[in-house]
Amino acid sequence: MKPDGKKEASSDVRNHPVVAHEQWLAARTAFLAKEKEFTRLREELSPQRRDLPWERVEKAYVFDGPRGNETLADLFAGKSQLIVHHFMLGPGWDAGCPSCSFWADNYNGIDIHLKHRDINLVAISRAPLASLEAYKRRMGWSFKWVSSNGNDFNFDLNASFTPEEVADGTAFWNYRKQKPDSTEVTGFSAFYKDPDGQIFHTYSCYQRGVDMINGAYHFMDLAPKGRDEADLRPTMAWLRRQDEYED
Amino acid sequence: MKAAANKHKVVSEAEWLKARKKLLVKEKKFLRLQEELGLERRGLPWVKVTKDYVFEGLNGKQPLADLFEGRSQLVIYHFMFGPDDKLGCPHCSLRADCFNGINVHLKHRDVTMICVSRAPFKKLAAYKKRMGWGFTWVSSGNTDFNFDYHFSFTPEDMAEGKAFFNYKIQDPGPSEREGHSVFYKDQRGDVFHTYACYSRGK
Repeated sequence: MKPDGKKEASSDVRNHPVVAHEQWLAARTAFLAKEKEFTRLREELSPQRRDLPWERVEKAYVFDGPRGNETLADLFAGKSQLIVHHFMLGPGWDAGCPSCSFWADNYNGIDIHLKHRDINLVAISRAPLASLEAYKRRMGWSFKWVSSNGNDFNFDLNASFTPEEVADGTAFWNYRKQKPDSTEVTGFSAFYKDPDGQIFHTYSCYQRGVDMINGAYHFMDLAPKGRDEADLRPTMAWLRRQDEYED
Repeated sequence: MKAAANKHKVVSEAEWLKARKKLLVKEKKFLRLQEELGLERRGLPWVKVTKDYVFEGLNGKQPLADLFEGRSQLVIYHFMFGPDDKLGCPHCSLRADCFNGINVHLKHRDVTMICVSRAPFKKLAAYKKRMGWGFTWVSSGNTDFNFDYHFSFTPEDMAEGKAFFNYKIQDPGPSEREGHSVFYKDQRGDVFHTYACYSRGK
């Protein structure tokens, strides 16, 4: 039981009630009303997200990309909206974070559609470009991935922290002081570029805020056992990089 | 929204942070609701599947029980691709682009995810090859499967503009519709229909 008295998300499917179709339909139709209410709530939340004020990006960040030096403005690739995945692959790491890789498996292949909605999607990490490109090849991904190695971008967007901030728990992570597990954390940031070329930071999300980007979890939400992580510590203990599952 | 974007409110970092934190509270509340909804969804009763549906796939004829590929949970995407259609629906193709790379992970959560359409298997295989997708896609063209689960509609339904779609009698639009069906297979091999969603998915 959770402290609030609610039942834990159970994956126990033994002795599940089995009924006639008419009874199923009655239960399903009643539940549909709740799903519709949830969809309406999401529709209310999204305009509030878009209504948030923007902050102007004053620093001239330069990234190391496949075409050499690329400014933040270049990363828009002619679009007015840029979505950045802060992918955890720090300097000196052998491979990308498994959880970030899971998220990337979800969005790899959709950038072609986003481009036609005036959105460019890129991943940014602090490791040198050669490390990113080697790992991207290993995973078979095609999205754009640039290195912020050497610039303040990740630190300014609260996606990287100094070893001191991590050690003493003073990292400003997900809008409060916390102690992350590593100097790199995952997240998504959104930017807008106006016709004059000025860039604005419009949105960032971290920790469970990135749930909405992971379709695989939402498919699990439809299945009888759900995410089935209640007994796992950490909850994602089941997760491997796509080429590291044993079967 | 272009004009609106040009006049958007621009503030200092401190003010931005204040507004962002306020929205974060609402986002967290939304995630809690999502969890509650997930629990309720899994609490829905199941219905035993008593018909013997046989699909056409890469390995020839495959009963519904085989589609689980050894796992206990089967999530089907009903991909709009009717018997006479030359190509798959563009909207369904966008969804497929979104889930194409996640099967490797779902497999390790005891979930097999596949697509089902009424077009002959040959057409599905050719379109899948063109799109570069890796998921399993079988044809239900010789079965009642799509009709029983309200993803395909008869010429009579279409002529009247009345069909049972998304849990009410309405005009379903085209004769094939998209959505998900979920099934569970127990250790004895009995298969149960647990969930389906249509239209906006909600």
